[in-house]
Amino acid sequence: MANPNTKFLVVDDFSTMRRIVRNLLKELGYTNVDEAEDGAIALGKLKGGGFEFVVSDWNMPNMDGLTLLQHIRADPELAKLPVLMVTAEAKKENIIAAAQAGANGYVVKPFTAATLDEKLSKIFEKLEKAGA
Amino acid sequence: MSMLQEEVSTTLYFDRTFDCEAAKISPGEYYYTDKDMVIVTVLGSCVSACIRDTVTGIGGMNHFMLPDSAAADKDSPVSESMRYGTYAMEVLINQLLRNGARRENLEAKIFGGGNVLKSFTTINVGDRNAIFVRKFLKEERIRVTSEDLLDIYPRKVYYFPKTGRVLVKKLKNMHNDTLVKREEAYASKLKTSDVGGEIDLF
Repeated sequence: MANPNTKFLVVDDFSTMRRIVRNLLKELGYTNVDEAEDGAIALGKLKGGGFEFVVSDWNMPNMDGLTLLQHIRADPELAKLPVLMVTAEAKKENIIAAAQAGANGYVVKPFTAATLDEKLSKIFEKLEKAGA
Repeated sequence: MSMLQEEVSTTLYFDRTFDCEAAKISPGEYYYTDKDMVIVTVLGSCVSACIRDTVTGIGGMNHFMLPDSAAADKDSPVSESMRYGTYAMEVLINQLLRNGARRENLEAKIFGGGNVLKSFTTINVGDRNAIFVRKFLKEERIRVTSEDLLDIYPRKVYYFPKTGRVLVKKLKNMHNDTLVKREEAYASKLKTSDVGGEIDLF
């Protein structure tokens, strides 16, 4: 497990799903979690600073998760922020688009706690290696 | 890992009674349309949410039940059943939003959750499904304008998304056990599949 104080932003237009992800993160030991209900609100919060990890849905009003990811990668302040896509979009072209836009991982709903844990660990591991 | 995904129904036919196109949905399926047509399903302990944009008339229906997750886990907000139910609702609503519906215009009508599966003795599956769908819509602030839930009878539901009209027929005399068999098969599929998708490309 990475630093339990790692600050997460969970982005999803369904409050039910935000709560599920928040609770799963809590089960995994991460309690420093904020929420945003679409990409635009998320981007505003991220620009405010302090976030270390983004877990984002794809399909959302105002700004979708892919556009959010593209904005993050295009912003020099945010470009290195790890982004895990958690989405109901299971089509190959979605996954490829997310990979090309620079997503660090991709989880298809309905996912399990174990899957989320595994993806997070994998991302943290890679980041550590890259940082070392 | 096997993956259980909600599928768009492909069972389309022309309904002579209503003189329009019809889509029939089975457990685990959904359908949405902006056309003047009828969506039909038969519910036992499963539930259906009929959701439409009251301005544009695009709407759809799903048909699902919560997987019977481990007893200790059952009512936890992160349990497998909660995640699956949320997913089943989200898939339908996402399709509507993607096709021009607006969240603030959505209205829902909810049906099913009858106590019809006699072999499910632990707790009433229908109750859980009904409670879930009510709670989900309340939390997501989607208006419920009509409901016919619980009781002990299966229901046949006809939904006209364009107008929002619904016809519900309670099936008090079942001539065979097709419905119960189909729901049991669906329930056991939910149980044996890992209700979780995973993609390991990167």
